[in-house]
Amino acid sequence: MERKISDRTILDNFVEDFCGIMEKYAPYIVCSGFVAIAHGRTRGTEDVDMIIEPITKTKFIELHKTLIRGGFQCIQSDNPDKLYIDYLTKGISIRYVWKNENFAPPEMEVKFAKDELDRMQIKERQKLPLTGLSVYFSSIESNIAFKEEYLGAEKDLEDALHLRIVYRDKLDEDKIKKIKREIILFRKSK
Amino acid sequence: MTAEKFAPIRDKTHKEQIERWANFVREHPDKWKSEVKPFIDGQIIMARRFYKKLSESEGGTQKILELRNLKL
Repeated sequence: MERKISDRTILDNFVEDFCGIMEKYAPYIVCSGFVAIAHGRTRGTEDVDMIIEPITKTKFIELHKTLIRGGFQCIQSDNPDKLYIDYLTKGISIRYVWKNENFAPPEMEVKFAKDELDRMQIKERQKLPLTGLSVYFSSIESNIAFKEEYLGAEKDLEDALHLRIVYRDKLDEDKIKKIKREIILFRKSK
Repeated sequence: MTAEKFAPIRDKTHKEQIERWANFVREHPDKWKSEVKPFIDGQIIMARRFYKKLSESEGGTQKILELRNLKL
């Protein structure tokens, strides 16, 4: 689908610039709130959620340096060793914003895949033409399942409703149910 | 406390609007983006403007660090 250049939002550019760098270093998915926003949901978000396949410290340091050259900065630290050891490998997310904007949003919240569920989402990642973005997302079924079964806040249920309507007649309901069972197994039973 | 105190903030028209807009996105894949762009950009432009002003104010840098949950 063609998108006019004038339709590109600041958020589109931020996400595509970041993902364009990330793709060279690790398979990733963008998930959660931005998926709905990229499909026209009119609500705010400060951050964009990204899950990546775990990478070595050496590779992460290269990634971090490339992101810095690309105009981003990490909110928590400039030290990639610290970011890797104290954050990523401990399951804590790190957050990148554009440089020279006084840490203003938007920000990309990056974390390693933490379980089979995350790895499955990355394995089944896809680009979603309706968004007009060259970015990998988790599947629409996965997004709906997480919003309805795991997150469950009012805004999440509204996101799921929006996606259900936009993708009406194209959704795999069996897949949504399967993912919900896996969410219960991998997340809720702990 | 009366029951009214716990009434939902949003009434059914909120959900109706979500459905109406989602149907518009579905039916007008080439039009919806230009409708939401000002809204999405506006939030970021306003945030940037605020953070810039705050950084220039007395104690503003510390406040930014607190807002972003950072430590010096």
